[in-house]
Amino acid sequence: MTTTDAAVPAEAVETPPVLVRMTAMAKAFGPTQAVRDASFELRSGEVHALVGENGSGKSTLVKLLSGVHAPDAGTIELLGLETPSLRTPRAAQDAGVVTVFQEVLVAEARSVLDNVWLGVDTLVRQRVGRREKRVRAREALAELLGRPLDLDKAVEELSLSERQACCIVRALLRDPRILILDEATSSLDVATRDRLFGIVSRLTRSGVGAIFITHRMDEISEIGDRITVMRSGETVATLARGSWTPRELVRLMTGSDQLTERAREDGGAVAERRGDVALSARGLRLRAGRRPMDVEIHAGELVGVAGLEGHGQDAFLDALRGAGAVDGAIVRHVGGRDEPVGSPTRAARLGVAYVPRERRQTLFGWMSIRENFGMPTLSADSRRGWLRLRLTRRRLNEYVARLGIVLGDPGDPITTLSGGNQQKVAISRWLAADPRVLLLNDPTRGIDVGAKRDLYALLTELAQEGRAVVMLSSELDEHVELMDRVLVFREHELFRELDHASLSREALVSAFFGEDGESG
Amino acid sequence: MSTGAVATESPARPASSARAGYAVTLGLRLLNRYSFAFALLLTVALLATTIVRDPDPWSNGFWVGLLQNMAPMALAAMASTPAIISGGGGFDLSISPLMYFLAEVFIVWLAPHSLGGFASVPIVLGLGAAIGAFNGLLIILLRVPPVVATLAVFFVLIGVDLRMLANPNEGGYLSPSNWVVHLADKVGPIPGGVFTLGFPLLVWFLLGLLPYRRTLYAVGSNDATAFASGVNVALVRVVAYSLGGLFAGVASLALVAISLSANPSLSQSYTLLAIAAVALGGTSLWGGRGGLFGSLLGAASIYLLGNLLLTLQVDPSYLQVMYGGMLLVAVVLGGVAARARQAE
Repeated sequence: MTTTDAAVPAEAVETPPVLVRMTAMAKAFGPTQAVRDASFELRSGEVHALVGENGSGKSTLVKLLSGVHAPDAGTIELLGLETPSLRTPRAAQDAGVVTVFQEVLVAEARSVLDNVWLGVDTLVRQRVGRREKRVRAREALAELLGRPLDLDKAVEELSLSERQACCIVRALLRDPRILILDEATSSLDVATRDRLFGIVSRLTRSGVGAIFITHRMDEISEIGDRITVMRSGETVATLARGSWTPRELVRLMTGSDQLTERAREDGGAVAERRGDVALSARGLRLRAGRRPMDVEIHAGELVGVAGLEGHGQDAFLDALRGAGAVDGAIVRHVGGRDEPVGSPTRAARLGVAYVPRERRQTLFGWMSIRENFGMPTLSADSRRGWLRLRLTRRRLNEYVARLGIVLGDPGDPITTLSGGNQQKVAISRWLAADPRVLLLNDPTRGIDVGAKRDLYALLTELAQEGRAVVMLSSELDEHVELMDRVLVFREHELFRELDHASLSREALVSAFFGEDGESG
Repeated sequence: MSTGAVATESPARPASSARAGYAVTLGLRLLNRYSFAFALLLTVALLATTIVRDPDPWSNGFWVGLLQNMAPMALAAMASTPAIISGGGGFDLSISPLMYFLAEVFIVWLAPHSLGGFASVPIVLGLGAAIGAFNGLLIILLRVPPVVATLAVFFVLIGVDLRMLANPNEGGYLSPSNWVVHLADKVGPIPGGVFTLGFPLLVWFLLGLLPYRRTLYAVGSNDATAFASGVNVALVRVVAYSLGGLFAGVASLALVAISLSANPSLSQSYTLLAIAAVALGGTSLWGGRGGLFGSLLGAASIYLLGNLLLTLQVDPSYLQVMYGGMLLVAVVLGGVAARARQAE
């Protein structure tokens, strides 16, 4: 946080050369103006964070620089020369601009080695020798992951975190002059992320410029030398390290003074809405040979599911919704009776709804917003067997108002919505079925601050209505701010349960790493 | 409350079922690593049966005949493969009529104009590659789904084939002294089929020495990834279709070699069998997995099965049913293997 830069007057420091200067960029996709008027400058040796709510145009802006999209207007200067022809990713890469995209882009069936070197060779000539490829790939992967990775393994056999590491290594192996990381840390575990930041620092010391897009404040403050804030397709401010506060950043991003930090409910209110046991896991083993766990989820309770990536949180949610082979029993308690949850269909019938992590899994990309919303609850909209679109629309409107979904026409394709709004539609679809237990798998991943705020409010409201909410999240602040109780998983066991009073970032992190909570 | 007590140790499995389970896992592993494993097994089994039933399996004629008769279909299957591997719904339905078109070019145009010698080889192969590239360009430039684009070319070529050789009895036959007959017989001591079937495999092997083949598989596996990584996806795909056309050229020579003619009314006869052979050979119809060798084995299985049932004097209508059953088993096995792969 404290650097000499802020203390020394700007004139005293020799300004490093400008690597990229983008001026008055604009890009529209059909009727959507993704980038309106964006100007951006990247200097040699800096990490320049690009922040903004989802749909503010960050990703589109870097895609203009990466040769994925052609700009409608504006100029791009690379190393002081105007560059009109970044028409393909290849052209951008030849100019030294290398991007790790938001999507985890891998060729699933191919080996790690093929994936990290993909696109370096021409079709007939190897630019890098076979042996050198192996050596450099092994070194780069080991440096990022902290352990060796089998180069001949197919990428589809890797974890999400390892896949993302492959994407990052693919970029690093191209010796970028300008490295763009577009939410490249979203699936990495904490240690890998720290190692990545170490690598990025090393690169910037040697004159590389890095553009870094993230939704996480802590990452911005950790690595960002300068920050450019985008809002509605425009760049609104560029701030130097040390001259900003999280509050100010949020104000610039949202254009309002509203903050994400909700006042936490006090323990009394939490105890008050807590009802009877709604769902319980008995003798649940997430993996053979692990310690079994007993968990009870109460009505009116917000339960967080936390841990380092891949430590059994997903398996736990899957078990609760009746999917995946598990050892042990999941029981739903309805009106004094115990009903075993054996399959996702049973779970749904017993009022247990599940919102998966991947929006692509839940939403029908080619269908309209209205259809996406109404799909599982169509029977509510039919009269004498005929579907009445008006009824669906009316039901949808209710949620549009309640969740603050921003949409044009309900008949538009779902893909016209931003990620946050798509997620809201996905959640409202399940709410329309009036579930008693709502299971959410990282619902705020990659959605903007405003949409997160709306979701938090909604989840609290749902708990107050007496519904049980179980939510897996990879963001610490989310657990601290929102949850009544957090289950921390470690190595596929329930490692610790943190109640409302003992919930803090420090307590969570120490539990993640298996440390004794009491001493930490 | 009784439901809670399920979580006890599962009883030890009997050793035999554990061994069977291990065999299944091993089989699936093998199938994942070598997608053509099932087709290989099938080919070996069918070949063994054929050899046992043949009165004189070690004579020269047996192998020469086997290879020459199998060649057109196997080559059609291999020609269909690159487009399918290139992904994005890649498909080339026009291979079969293209074979007949190139065969007719050879018979009707080249041979009467004294180009029927070895000069015909580069002409036929080059023309095939060009038409294949045209298919690829059609798909890339017009953004037409491959099935639709190549279906259009399929119809056009069938029409052209019929027009070119309206009456096969008038100039529709090649002189038996043409060099091409060796491809259906022997070149020195080696069966001609080795050359026709070997050519695509050789080209495929050589491509493996260049970055192209790896890139093709990567494009087929995930084209967005390849594009973002700087691969010229369009070029890779056009080359894949062009390779298909090139192999169709070889297929046309194998076709002419057998009968010294090419009956245009049979133009579409290899279309569906070729696709069946590709799928049977373990190549994923979604792209990115499989290979030419699998398609060869798939075609061999289909051919050998047909041949065998013929010698057993089984009603030919059962043949189609058997093809279907075989294909179904192969595709289901592929699916099971894919699921096992994901579970690991």
